[in-house]
Amino acid sequence: MSLSDLKHTLRKLEFPACAKEALIKIEQLLVGRAAPTSKQLDIAMDVISEFVFCETDRRGNRRGLNPLQELQLIDIICDYLSACTNDTTKNTIFLSLFGGMENQRKLKVLSILASMAVSASSTPVLLAVGVWLQQMGCSSQQSLQLVENVIKDHFFLNTSNQLALKSLATTAPQFVSNFITAVTELYMHDLQKAKKMPPKNLLEVITSWVYSNPSLCMSAQLNPAALPSGSIPMAAVTPLAGLIHWCALAPLYIDDDTEMEEIPIKKIKLEDEKPSIVKSLPSKALSESELYIKLHLGVLHSLRAGRRTHGPPTAVNAQHLAALTPLVQAYAHQLLKFGVKLQSETKLQDCLDRIGQAVQVALANGCVYGNISNLLAALDTLPENRLLRIIIKSHQQSI
Amino acid sequence: MNTQNKQTALSADLNNFIYGVSRRNFQNAPELTKIGISLLRNFPAARDAVLEYFAMVFHDAVNVSINQTDYESDSSANGSLESVSMIGPELCSMGESWAPFIAPWCITLIMDIATEKSNLPNATLQNTEPVRVLLDITTQNLTLLNAEERAKCIDMMLDCRACSWAVGWVGRAEPALVAPRALALGADAARAVLAHLANHPPALYHVRAALVDLFQEAIKEDSKADKKRDVIPYLLNLASKSDIVLKALTQDIALTLTDEVMDRLCVVCATHRHSGAWEGVGPASLVALLLRSDVHCFLLLLKHAQRNVFCRQLLEYLLQKVEYESLFPDSNLPLVMSAAEEINIVREKLLTGNQLEQYSIARILILVCYNLPSEFVSTISYLLQCARSDTTLALLVRVVSGALAMHSPADGPDVHADVERYQNLINTGVEYALRDAMMADTQIKKCFVEGTGTKDEKTYLHHFCLNIVKLLRWERSGVRCAWAARAVAARVGRVGAALRARAALLRERPPATAAALADMPTCHALAQVLDNVDLTGTKSAPPSVEVILKVIQATVQYFFRCLHETDIMAKIRGVQTASRLLRKLCLHSKLARAVALRDLLETAMFREDKVFGSRSDVTNNVASPKDWNGEELLIYMNQKHGPITQLTQSHTSVFHAGIIGKGVRKRSDAGRGAPPVLALDNELLMGALMACMDGNSGIVEGSTSISLLLVELVSPDVMYNGLPWPDEDFTKQVSIERELYMRSAVERCGVSRAALRRTARARPALCLSSALLRAAAASLLHRAHRHTQSAEMVRELAALVELLSVMTLGQLLPHPLSHILELAPELTPSEIVQVLRDCIWNYTRDHVPSPALFSCDSTGLHWRDPSTCKPPPTYTDTLRMIIQKRISKLGHMYPIMFLNLEKDS
Repeated sequence: MSLSDLKHTLRKLEFPACAKEALIKIEQLLVGRAAPTSKQLDIAMDVISEFVFCETDRRGNRRGLNPLQELQLIDIICDYLSACTNDTTKNTIFLSLFGGMENQRKLKVLSILASMAVSASSTPVLLAVGVWLQQMGCSSQQSLQLVENVIKDHFFLNTSNQLALKSLATTAPQFVSNFITAVTELYMHDLQKAKKMPPKNLLEVITSWVYSNPSLCMSAQLNPAALPSGSIPMAAVTPLAGLIHWCALAPLYIDDDTEMEEIPIKKIKLEDEKPSIVKSLPSKALSESELYIKLHLGVLHSLRAGRRTHGPPTAVNAQHLAALTPLVQAYAHQLLKFGVKLQSETKLQDCLDRIGQAVQVALANGCVYGNISNLLAALDTLPENRLLRIIIKSHQQSI
Repeated sequence: MNTQNKQTALSADLNNFIYGVSRRNFQNAPELTKIGISLLRNFPAARDAVLEYFAMVFHDAVNVSINQTDYESDSSANGSLESVSMIGPELCSMGESWAPFIAPWCITLIMDIATEKSNLPNATLQNTEPVRVLLDITTQNLTLLNAEERAKCIDMMLDCRACSWAVGWVGRAEPALVAPRALALGADAARAVLAHLANHPPALYHVRAALVDLFQEAIKEDSKADKKRDVIPYLLNLASKSDIVLKALTQDIALTLTDEVMDRLCVVCATHRHSGAWEGVGPASLVALLLRSDVHCFLLLLKHAQRNVFCRQLLEYLLQKVEYESLFPDSNLPLVMSAAEEINIVREKLLTGNQLEQYSIARILILVCYNLPSEFVSTISYLLQCARSDTTLALLVRVVSGALAMHSPADGPDVHADVERYQNLINTGVEYALRDAMMADTQIKKCFVEGTGTKDEKTYLHHFCLNIVKLLRWERSGVRCAWAARAVAARVGRVGAALRARAALLRERPPATAAALADMPTCHALAQVLDNVDLTGTKSAPPSVEVILKVIQATVQYFFRCLHETDIMAKIRGVQTASRLLRKLCLHSKLARAVALRDLLETAMFREDKVFGSRSDVTNNVASPKDWNGEELLIYMNQKHGPITQLTQSHTSVFHAGIIGKGVRKRSDAGRGAPPVLALDNELLMGALMACMDGNSGIVEGSTSISLLLVELVSPDVMYNGLPWPDEDFTKQVSIERELYMRSAVERCGVSRAALRRTARARPALCLSSALLRAAAASLLHRAHRHTQSAEMVRELAALVELLSVMTLGQLLPHPLSHILELAPELTPSEIVQVLRDCIWNYTRDHVPSPALFSCDSTGLHWRDPSTCKPPPTYTDTLRMIIQKRISKLGHMYPIMFLNLEKDS
């Protein structure tokens, strides 16, 4: 079928219907035994542009979708993806729909789609989004934007769906893994700028994900995406390195004062109210620093789970870990400026301890790839810490 | 399972929503709205779509409610309206994280609606339910935004011309943000926004702050002068268009335009005066602004007019403009109204300001008074009380005559009614001033508490009086219309009452008030006022009887207070004032005279008798009053003796000689003669009495009433006994007690004796006190021969001499008998008795001393022609024989008494 014929048939239809029809046509075009030709690809892109996203009309004029139409389109895409049985087909269509790097309009639709999928716990869509994240690179601008939008929707605007979110780790682990990787790029990244801390509910959810599923972090790597034939799979980056960053830096960045504010207001005691004999267990929500401790433990478990029986280690990049050192050193410099003794500074020591623990577990389980000696050298420049010293010494000998 | 359910529910919602929305029908809007709200909650990513749908609903709802003319239709019947009522609370309560999405949406929507409906009146649009809901949502969400986003939103709104009302409304939540931004707009747009903003009182503060900031910024000294060149003209232009801006700018103007600011402003003006924008704000527009501003601006202008020529010119321009504008009926100039509101400050400035201020304020006050009669009254009252110098008093004259002049156009149809109305207002003003001054005197004042009282020690009433007197004098000397005189004349009763209250001895004198100061200065001042009032009734209606009585009583009281003055000059001056007053009052009113005489005499004889040296007629000096039981009292015992003791004045006899069992009454005044007649106080009193009798035939009439009064006051029971003298025996048997009492009463009282003498002069008047003369004669008859002791004799003789002199003076004893006076000192007691009985008593008995004896001659003078009333020899023989018998001693009298008589006959 030629392009003009295809367009002719589709043009008979009004907007929502034409999009639906177009998706089917695209599937026919792109999915086959062999990789599609470049002409086929061009036709598919043309159809997508005109009939799915309605970017241009038949005369090539620019037009767009209003928010309601966007919603209709998302509904259609969602329906289509959910109905799709073959992962490869699904991923192929999805990537061709949203693969274009620069289009903000598409990105917006994608954000809504992703957010909706999270809302509705729609696994097929989430998995597709997970693949997209991976293919785009978790730290790419588009991915970060998408992740930011999802966080805004689900951790700022709608804060009532924490349970549903927590269950995502089991239904769509690849998506969650990539999602966390991207999130770690967003927060606590730079000491120069104002310290941007993750919101507490996001931290809670991530902690719960990591803590309850030690294999989660590796899931993107363990389950390679079903990609269209001929495409180049991008290496999945685990969130472990980023999470180690978080846990290590948390003692330095969290102010004790802000924690104090969260003390709940005492209930007014009624006179005839007898103190209950059975004390209910303190169901108090964990404070932020406690959450980080729990997350740290979760990360250490995950590291242990990241041991691979065969092949090179893939879990944690040594360079990535080494990137911690300038941040800690900057903090230590500040302390020195105020004349604080580094050995007795509990926050700093806490941070160094955590770094030491993570490095030790990672090295011991063979999760670290890249230049390990560089990493050890970098760690050696950190302020004095006993655990770290032992670890460095032992591993330097073993190399 | 749970997630599965949820997923299906969500996609069902989504499908329903998409399907419903695509139908573009608002019948099912409520359901869709519900779905939309739940989508917002569960599927935040769909917010754009949902909000878009809500915007459509709002548009529709606005249309519906604008076209909904009849109120009967139920608003909930319409789907859109119902949806709106659901959306409102929902979007208001979404919370902080939603605000960045909702607020811009709201603002865009408002702008859309406003632009779409810009042909409708703002009020209609604002009052529709959907718009109200929308504004609520906006306000609510704006408050949740952080400052930066909020400012962005407000800027968004300000860019839209059609929705200044919305800015004003929403800006109430954030006036501090809106007000300065609005000022960055053009004058018209800013006016609209600020007008809406100012409906919310707390926002006014921010509007003012923004304006003042802008102004301060404009005059700040820095390099960007050129950029700020147009700010001040802009502000003035804005003020000329907006009352709110004007009000905000002029509020506390004195704080804004301090002296330094003024200096700086002068510099700025000098630099920019000739640039384009400044041309539009010349003096004319400034005056127009000032007309609308409040009086504080005017006062500030006055202050600067002292130094600044431009201000002075502006002031003059302004005053002329105000005066001109005020001539139109129903002119409601804010400046004048504000002056009326702040009248206290204005008046104070009038008193304390410099000349320019005083004269300018007087001009404003004239207009205030012209517009508001109540202020006219209070201004008069205030100035009368507070003026302390000629200048301020002159200002009062100026204000009053200015207001009068404005009010009585000479060609008006009801000039008189108008003039009368104004005279009434002035009268009220004077009355209020008097009342307030009196009240001020009774109030505790700080200066008295601290002991730093006024140096002149004058009461407020005193000041008031001084002012009035000054005014009255001016009016007398000048050609001005006599409004003050008329007013005081109309309220003379009040002044009288004030004087009376002041002169009363028993007066409350609370400490630390002006009332505790000495009375007399104030009394003198009040008397001065009364003295200066014209009471003749020639220029205005004569005072009523009641008023006259009040003033008379007050004057009499004042007179007696003056007698107590220690400073002789003050005393004489006061007495003279009182006498003048009495003369003035009595000249036209017989009633006044009667009252005055009675009051004077009564007070002199009974209440103030000590001043005149009189002694109380009965002094019981018997020691230790005993507890008498009823039967023992002499009065009861006497009653048992029959009718003779129950005669008139018999009760006095009880004490006359003493108390049975206690011996003869001790005479405390033994050795002291009767009080002198020729004392200063007595003469002053006589002067006052004579003052009452001024005028034609006044003296005779007055004296007549004096003599009647004397009889009444000495012994009321003989008032109606008539003039005749009874038989000598009758007095001995019946009335001797009374006669004795009457004689002693008269004798002890210098006043009555002096008065008798005066009456004797005014010829027939003495006849009417014949009862008193009779009493004296009878007692002399009775007692003269008994007394042998020289002291007693001397007294009796003195009494005789006095009796004779009075009777002779009154022409009751014609020619030969009149010379008994000269003989009397030489006669022995028995001779005296003889002469008394035969010559005086019998003659008077036979020739009843009645006014009929006196004939009236052509000059109106009453007198008894000696040639026609020669006493028959029966009455003179005794005398003749006595003289003949003692010719050696009394011979020189014989020819005078008898020879001439014979020659004549």
